[in-house]
Amino acid sequence: MRSIRTVAAIAIVAALAVVLAACGSSSKTSSSGSGSGSSGSISTGGFQSPTTQSLTGGKKGGTLQVLDETDFEHIDPGIAYYSLDYEVVFATQRPLYSNKPNTASVASPDMASGPPEISSDNKTVTVKLREGIKFSPPVNREVTSADVAYAIERGANPNVANPYFHAYWDSLEGALKAKGGAISGISTPDKHTIVFKLIEPKAQLVANAMVMPLTAAVPKEYAEKFDNHKPSDYGNFQVATGPYMFKNDSSGKVLGTGYFPGKSATLVRNPNWTASSDIRPAYLDEIAIKIGGTNSVIGKQVLEGTNIVENEPPAQSNVRLAAEKYKSQLEISPGAGSHYIGVNNVHGPFKNENLRKAFWAALNRTAMDKARGGKLVTDVMTHFIYPTIPGFEEAGGLKGPTGPKFDFNEHPEGSATVAAKYMKLAGYPSGKYTGNETLSIVGAKGNPAEQDAEIVNQTLKNLGFQTKFTLVETATMYAKYCNVPKEEIDVCPSIGWIADFGDPQTVLDITFNGKFINATGNVNWGQTNNPKINAAMTAAENVTGTAARAAAWGKIDEEIVEIAAAVPFDWDKQANIEGSGVKGVGDLWDVGEWDYSWTSLK
Amino acid sequence: MTGYVIRRVVWGIALLIIVCALTFLLFRIIPTGNPAVLRAGRDPQPQLIKEIERVLGLDKSLPTQFWDYIKGVFLHFNFGYSYYSQQSVLSLIRERLPATLSLTLGAAVVWMVAGLSIGIISALKRRTFWDRASMGTALVLISAPEFWLGLLALLLFSNDIGKLHLFPGAGSYVGLTADPLKWFTSLIMPWCVLAAGSAAVFARLMRGSMIETMDEDYIRTARAKGLPERRVIRQGVRSSINPIVTLLALEVGVLLGGAVLIEYVFNIPGVGLLAYHSIVQSDFEVIQGTVLLASMFIIIANIAADIGYAYLDPRVRYS
Repeated sequence: MRSIRTVAAIAIVAALAVVLAACGSSSKTSSSGSGSGSSGSISTGGFQSPTTQSLTGGKKGGTLQVLDETDFEHIDPGIAYYSLDYEVVFATQRPLYSNKPNTASVASPDMASGPPEISSDNKTVTVKLREGIKFSPPVNREVTSADVAYAIERGANPNVANPYFHAYWDSLEGALKAKGGAISGISTPDKHTIVFKLIEPKAQLVANAMVMPLTAAVPKEYAEKFDNHKPSDYGNFQVATGPYMFKNDSSGKVLGTGYFPGKSATLVRNPNWTASSDIRPAYLDEIAIKIGGTNSVIGKQVLEGTNIVENEPPAQSNVRLAAEKYKSQLEISPGAGSHYIGVNNVHGPFKNENLRKAFWAALNRTAMDKARGGKLVTDVMTHFIYPTIPGFEEAGGLKGPTGPKFDFNEHPEGSATVAAKYMKLAGYPSGKYTGNETLSIVGAKGNPAEQDAEIVNQTLKNLGFQTKFTLVETATMYAKYCNVPKEEIDVCPSIGWIADFGDPQTVLDITFNGKFINATGNVNWGQTNNPKINAAMTAAENVTGTAARAAAWGKIDEEIVEIAAAVPFDWDKQANIEGSGVKGVGDLWDVGEWDYSWTSLK
Repeated sequence: MTGYVIRRVVWGIALLIIVCALTFLLFRIIPTGNPAVLRAGRDPQPQLIKEIERVLGLDKSLPTQFWDYIKGVFLHFNFGYSYYSQQSVLSLIRERLPATLSLTLGAAVVWMVAGLSIGIISALKRRTFWDRASMGTALVLISAPEFWLGLLALLLFSNDIGKLHLFPGAGSYVGLTADPLKWFTSLIMPWCVLAAGSAAVFARLMRGSMIETMDEDYIRTARAKGLPERRVIRQGVRSSINPIVTLLALEVGVLLGGAVLIEYVFNIPGVGLLAYHSIVQSDFEVIQGTVLLASMFIIIANIAADIGYAYLDPRVRYS
């Protein structure tokens, strides 16, 4: 009897752990980017926005309190890949290029002293570095091109395993076989010049990817011993090049000094940083980050507090509260990604393009957006390149592609008439599906995704489909169902995407190009493998120049809409909140997250 | 008696290994549980996943991984390292244990004092307004989820977002040695919320047990003999409390489970919050460490209760 009780008590603890695991799907968004100049038509409801905020005139000094529900995943600039991690990484590190807070597509030289030089054959990129930039203590020496080379090379070290190295740097000569040692395609002719030689004409993409933190300099003689650990723990001993650094001890140790995982982090001024060498004003003296707590409580603490900000997207109830009572403390950032419905292009009823169009036409996208908070934080999505990314306007802007070919896209509240037209074209003269296949729908639990999935299910039933409707945790939905083609899921209604940086290729290529269909971790959810679109993408990968790339990818976006490869419904606008004593500056390129290097106290 | 104690300890160790194995398996077979895939970004190439698995030691067979882990835990007291911060699990737990102990021990005191006192008074003042009010409140507290109760307490009584600015709010916890007064005030609300459910259960149990005892013949005899009412009640309490005390060990598990939620709501950097974050991040080694620690506490509490019970009632040793 006693033993059974013991087991029962342990079972309570273990079961709780499992339940929490199930609830623990990360709601974090992947690293973001977005564009400039193309968000002008997006309404931010009159609230402050990264597109309109003032970047000058901040007051110097003070400590900003930051409340953060979840911990950082990685603070090592060679591993960090999430918008939350970027907040501290970009305050402490200087990649070759970076975006000012109010732009996502116009990169400014950061560690670089000028724009990248791209050779005429599009296979060589040369970057000159600023002189006189120093690493923070305990390294204290000047940054050279060799440090940038090492930073990129360590990305291929399995102990570091940078999550986007292969996506953007594989065209570098020698990168495919790199394991952390020297890469033949990187040369440093002098202390302040670095040259990248590519095996494919993809210089523009490589140059654009230099805004990612992998290019932030790392001193080899100091970092190598940490990189030899499995996995690397350089993040716990990192040195900074940016205006701030993690508080550390004399040996450089950050862990237990300036970073207590799951508890707190403290950024202090980097004594070796000079304002004259940087575009960031770095008004604050210190950033004190407290980790943990619940989103709903944190939001209220921030709205009723003074020198305090919330690091993560606030709870919907707090956004509403801020919009009503604390208007000046709410920031709305356009270009915070998109949500769409993955429909299986190669298996089941939706192999039929006209059925996909009928579904698109019938769907009430306005209702779906309402579930996400309505006009304040969403816009009805009409194509796949989202606001602020170059190519958005070229693909039709807010309205999207129009004309007879796109009539299924012209009714945000759904049109039974247009849907019936496409049902008939698909071979169902009654306007209802009469086939015998049952659609499998796998959505994410928890609102608003759950409400959206219900709307999708009901829409499909109204079109005559039999459905097998399943809701699971977000992480499970991706890992077990929607990212695994062999599961043959017909509809994934809770898919979302954010670009890595302000280039349309990072929105469309991996998600709609047939060559990126993987057996696991597949993010071409519809398994779209259209030869014409694939060829257009391959050609567009090599296009240089922002305008030319915007035109090329905008055209591809239109073609993706034309075959209804997926069904879009929401362009996100991210809400962020601050205390009454903060003049917060959000990053348009990082879903509006606060930028500590530009934020000041009133 | 010695043989009995050895049997209980051996069974406790076996149970720990079973818990270890179950946790190990559970977090490796659930679909989201591969940290290598989570770490590999949005286009996780199989080669990259393999490399990360090798670095994290996840490429070895499950039995080998499990054997390595068990060896580390039982021979070297090494619980592994966090996949994310690379900090040793033991030091992560050691850092957070004082907060969890502060929370659970304090809550246990509140729960026992409040639960038992209310139960006794209710039994003695049967069918009065006081009895009905306290039992009604107990029913509400038993039914209310701790998470909800915690949020309610914060919105009503915290000094930052509450309606009545009475107690320090979420995120205000400091260590006992850093500032004893602040430590105490920051834990008042968490203690009460964590203790509420258990106190209510024990109040009802104590009331029932006390009513039954007070109707016994020997209590009537004691009264008939003219014993002062205080001594009669003391006798009644002593008899009624025995069956309740046997449930205390089981309650340790309930408290530890509740501590996870309370630490989350009140942002107390304890082992529960560590467990929560590690589960969200699929940080296996930390999950295993925290579950193992919680199990260890429960097993030790149960062994202590078993031994105490056997000491009091020798028949138990032979059953």
